[in-house]
Formats: sequence, C-alpha cells, structure tokens
Amino acid sequence: MVSRSAKGKVLKALGIAALFAVILTCGASFAADKVIKIGTIFPLTGPVAVSGQNCLAAVQTAADIINGKYDWPDFPLAGKEGLLDGYKIEIVAADHQGKPDIAKSEAERLFNQEGVFAVIGCYNSSSSKPASAVAERLKKIFLCGASSSAELTERGFNYFFRTAATDGIESEEFADYIDYLNKNKDAGIKTIGFLYENSEFGKHAAEEGKKAVAEIGLEVVSDVPFTVGATNMNSEIQTLKAAAPDAVFGAALGGDYSLMVRTMKQSNWAPKIFINYCTGYQSPAINKELGSDGSFYMGGMGYSPEIAEVYMKGALPAQEIYRGKTGFPLDSDSSQEAVCLHVWAQAIETAGAVDTEKVAQLLRTETFPSPLSLSGEVAFSPGGQNNRAFTVITQLADGQYKTVFPLDYADSELVYPFPAGDKR
Amino acid sequence: MFIWLGLLAVLAALAVIPGAIGNRFYAHVLVLVLLYASMAQSWNILGGYCGQVSFGHSVFFGIGAYGAGMAMVTYRGVPWPGIIAGALLAAAVSALISWPCFKLRGHYFAIATFAIVEIFGRLFLVWDWVGGALGLDYPILDDSWKYFLWSSDKTGYFTGAALLFAFVFGVVRFLEKRRFGYYARAVREGQETAESLGVDSMRVKLTAMAISAFLAALCGAFFAQYNYRVDPPMVLSLDMSMKFVLITILGGMGTFWGPLLGAAVLIPLQEYTRTYLSHFGAGVDQMIYGILIMFMMIRQPKGIMGFLAEFGLLGGKDGGDI
Repeated sequence: MVSRSAKGKVLKALGIAALFAVILTCGASFAADKVIKIGTIFPLTGPVAVSGQNCLAAVQTAADIINGKYDWPDFPLAGKEGLLDGYKIEIVAADHQGKPDIAKSEAERLFNQEGVFAVIGCYNSSSSKPASAVAERLKKIFLCGASSSAELTERGFNYFFRTAATDGIESEEFADYIDYLNKNKDAGIKTIGFLYENSEFGKHAAEEGKKAVAEIGLEVVSDVPFTVGATNMNSEIQTLKAAAPDAVFGAALGGDYSLMVRTMKQSNWAPKIFINYCTGYQSPAINKELGSDGSFYMGGMGYSPEIAEVYMKGALPAQEIYRGKTGFPLDSDSSQEAVCLHVWAQAIETAGAVDTEKVAQLLRTETFPSPLSLSGEVAFSPGGQNNRAFTVITQLADGQYKTVFPLDYADSELVYPFPAGDKR
Repeated sequence: MFIWLGLLAVLAALAVIPGAIGNRFYAHVLVLVLLYASMAQSWNILGGYCGQVSFGHSVFFGIGAYGAGMAMVTYRGVPWPGIIAGALLAAAVSALISWPCFKLRGHYFAIATFAIVEIFGRLFLVWDWVGGALGLDYPILDDSWKYFLWSSDKTGYFTGAALLFAFVFGVVRFLEKRRFGYYARAVREGQETAESLGVDSMRVKLTAMAISAFLAALCGAFFAQYNYRVDPPMVLSLDMSMKFVLITILGGMGTFWGPLLGAAVLIPLQEYTRTYLSHFGAGVDQMIYGILIMFMMIRQPKGIMGFLAEFGLLGGKDGGDI
C-alpha cells in the first residue's frame, strides 16, 4: 500500500491534468458570432514541416486580407471588411504529421466536431486523398493547393478543387523545354534519369515524367527511388552517376531535397540539366540554407518573388503580410494554398449565403480573378482541376529564380550544361 | 471485483456512447481505443505471455491491411475474403520468418524483427501488384456491412471494433487458462527450465507467433477499412510496430487487461494532445505526449496495472496474471 502523502500527490497531479483539459477544451470551443470556420490540414511537424507551416501561414495571410480592409484594387475582397454582411473567417488548423490516417481523422474532426465550412490541405498527395474522400462522402468542399498528384483530380469528385498545376502538366512542360533545347540550342540531350522519393508524389511524378519524355524520344537509363526522410543518398546518387543520364528529373521534398543537392555535390557529378518537381527546389528557406550549392538546379514554379515583380504585381502586398509571418517571400506551394481561400471567399461572396451547394456550384462553373496565380485567374474543370494553372521553368542562380521557359516569360539565358561539383 | 465491475461499466458505456454522439470525434477516439487495445493484446500473446519481444508486428498488421485493401481496390469486391486470406497469410508468413529468428534470444531476436519490418516495407513500396508507393485508395461506396465502410456515422465502425476487441480478448482469455497459456508463461520465465520439464519451446513460440500474427492482421484489415486507404508507410513501419509494444508495456505486459488500459490512456492522450495543441505547429502535442509516457514509465515500469496494484485496486494481486 502507498502512503497518504503519495496518494495526495497523485490526486493533485490528476487535478492539474483535469484543469489543463478543461482549459484546453474551453479554448477550443470559443466561437464568435458571424464566423465562418475554415479548416486547414498541413504537415506542421515531420520531414516537411517547414513547407506545411508556410502553407498555413499563406492561408492565414489570405484570411487576414479578407477579414481586414486594404486599398488594393487588384485584389478582390481586400477592400471590404469580412465576407457577406460582416462574416469573418476563422482558420482552424490541424497537423497531419505526413500521415494519411491522421489526415483522414483530422478531416472528420474538422467537419463533424469543429463544424468547418470547408477544408484546405493537405500538401502531401497521399494525405490529400483520404482527407478529401471524407469531404466527398460528407458532401463538403475540399480545396487543395499544392498536392500535385494528377490522380487527385481524376477521381470524378464533385466537391474537390485543386488550384495548382499537376505533375502531369509540369512533366509536359519539362519535356517541351528539353525538346526546344535539342532542336534550337543543339543541347544533345538523349538520355534521362529519374530520382524521386518513393511516395505517392514521387512515384506519380516519375510516371508522368516517363510518359512525357517518351513523346520526345528520350531514353530512360536510370530510375532511382529513395526512401522519404532518407539519412543517406550516396548509393542513389552513385547509381545515377553510373548511368550518366544527360538529364535528370527530380522529385524530393524538404530535407530530402537538401540531402540530394549536397550528395550530388560530393559525388562531383551532374547531368547536363536537372529539373525538379515541386517544393524542395521551390522553398526559399531551403535554398537559403543551401546557398551556392543550390545554384543551377531547375524546376517548375507557379510563383516566385522575381516572377511576381513582373507578372503578378497584385500579389506583392499580400507577400509582405506573409513575409511578416514567416520571414520569407511567398513560394509556389504556399501561394496556391492562399489562392484556395481567396477563390473560395469570392465564391461565397457571389453565392450571397453560407451554403455549401451554392458555393460548390459556383466553384464548378465560374472563373475567378486571382492575383496570386500566374495566369491571373482560376477556373475548375470537372473533377476539380484548375484549368488555368500553369508553371514556368526557372533556374536558381545566386539565390534568385531566373525564368528560362516558356520564352514569353523568360528573363535569363539558361546556364548549360550544369557545372559539376569541381567546376562550380 | 472492483476492476471487473469498473470495466463492465466502461464497456456498457462504450456500447451506448457512439449511438448518442453519432459521428463526433469522441466516437473516433473510442473506435481507436478498441482497435489499438486489440492490436496490443495480439502482441501481448507473444511479447507478454511468451516473453518474445517482437518489433515486427506491423508486418502482419500490414498484410492484413493489404488483404482487405486489395479485395476492395484491386479486385473491386467486398473485403471479407481478403480479410480472411490476409489473416491466414500473416500467420503463415509469421511462422516462416520466425523459424530462423526464434533461434535468437532476447535483444538479438528483437533486432531481427526490426529488420523484417524494413524488408517488408521496402518490398511493398516497389511491388506494383500491391499498389507500390501509390498505395490503394478505396472507392466511394455506400455505407454498409457488406463493404464494411461508413462515412455518415461511427456506429458501424464502433460495433466492428467492439466485435474485434471481444474476439481478440476472448481468444487470449481462452488461451491463458489452457495448457498453451501455462506453457507460454513457462517459456517466458525460463526457456531451459521449461524444456527440462518437457515443454517444446520452439513449438510454443511458433504457435504464439502465428496466433498473434493472425489477430494482428485482423486489426490491420480494420485499420485499412477505417482509413479508406493503405500504403506502406501507413502500416509497414517501425512507427506502427512501436505502437503495438508501447501500448502493451504502458498498460502492463503479460497481463490480460493491460492492453486495454494502455490503449485507454495512450490513444486519447495522442488524439487530444494533437487536437488541442498541434495547431501551434511546433510539435508541442508530441512533446507533451512523450513527456507523459516518460513520466508514467519512470514512475511505474510495470505500467498501469502496476499502478493499480500499488494503490491496492487489484485485490492484493500484483497485476501479473490479471
């Protein structure tokens, strides 16, 4: 048996725990009048936490703009405080930790418990799939910014809307560019290798890439998947080096991208051209950390500060609010998450009511102005893909994203071929 | 007597709560408690009663999940044949891979089971027949027992989880009072001594592993049906294996009610810390979750059953055979 004092201590501990639970519960159940709750599900912890946190900051930036009043004529809803007759947007954030089962249960919680009107997420395609299936089953709106797996919009869902370009769209653009270089610049690119994370995103990107390069007659000489969250990529890079492809398409997120770049440098080898899908390349935080090692890599981008300066001036004030939250400018992925909220807000304003069916119908049929999108507008096809989405191909040089393709947008000449480690 | 009445009250409450709260988050937590208690109990057969600490149970869990997933997605049918096939396959695979591993003892056996998870995880990532890295995504179907899928409320899943829980705990209760149960505990307490008394330790361990794997696979099938998706990182991971072990140790290894108590503490802790703290985005929920586990294990290494014994709530028993 234990002493009375020991029992007292345990009871005290239980009391503190109960108080803690009550405080948390009260905090979470706070609600104001005239509030529309929007849920977000991003990987706020785990291997791609930085990207997930940036995505959340971008959604909060869009909410701040819509809830506040700004004299920005190029930014719809900025000039009006709130939505409809004074509704404010409240963001309810959730963390899926990069795990699809948690994304699914958080989607259920947000809809059923928190009563959110719509959910924005989930960054990782593998998490977006089950979370959006929850929304579809409940006939609730799910907006997806950065998840690039083309499969997401091939499921015939009615309540799913994605603003970003798919890896299928990017693959075609990459292949077009290589074809252009071969035909017009005598680049001599005949073989290609794929280096990708072995996940829904990486595998799908590689499959789309292989289809696209087959159209221009490139031979795939190396196909190298790696484990997400890898601690060592020496064997993968050596495999690639042994096959010595002229071009490499890469698909690596967060810390994996940094590791890939550093291991490439150590191997003292580089293909003639290295083009990346998605975020590792696009993240200003990661590229700041990589410094000059990140130079000469290329990738598809729907947004960069340099592009915004020329083609998306309406986005620049929003970028400053975002910079205040994160210390970095908007990037390609986070900007798309902000677009999700902005487009949804325009739809609800047009609908004139907090009505899921009316808003979903408007999202399916209308075209929305979008200063945060490169095309300047958003319109969804059946299945939910933004048919106005497109990206440009950029190359990093001295920490700046230089646009090289399409030619209409190009502001720089490509540095070609990619200098190997000892020549950089 | 106290604990039995208490657990009866808890189970009675569990039976009515989901109907009362529909599709609320509480119902989700209850379903997970029952699922993870069943998972931990399946592991407890081998790790607790037989004393063979395995970190490879996510492999059997994963095979069960893929059995259901492939029946639903690859073959566009109902999950039931896949669930049975997956469970039987998991039992067969467990016996096959355990045969050489059981020649190892203690830490060496545990390390070998770690490696098995890595092997299966990587195999399934590149195996196109099982969906590879893309995984298997369930189609949108009507809520029904036929497909064992529900979206409008949790009552179906709760009933399924309660049945799974009753089956797994029933099997263990049945086994622990039979000769096999005594043999298993004899092997745990001293393999050489047990063998000197005529116990075929290899046979006992293999049987424990096969039964344990069969039940773990049933839990895996439930997990896939519940999440509408299965992919290798979700099920064939060390993270998942650790859940089997952690819940059992927290509740009380080698005890009958330990897995339920472990799940009843750990799962709500995991779910509610994430719910209320994850939006800070700094992993605060995971830190608090970890600190609380550390505190409990330092305070009472025998787990919650040890706590109950310490406070005299087990009628003078030490929790070892309860």
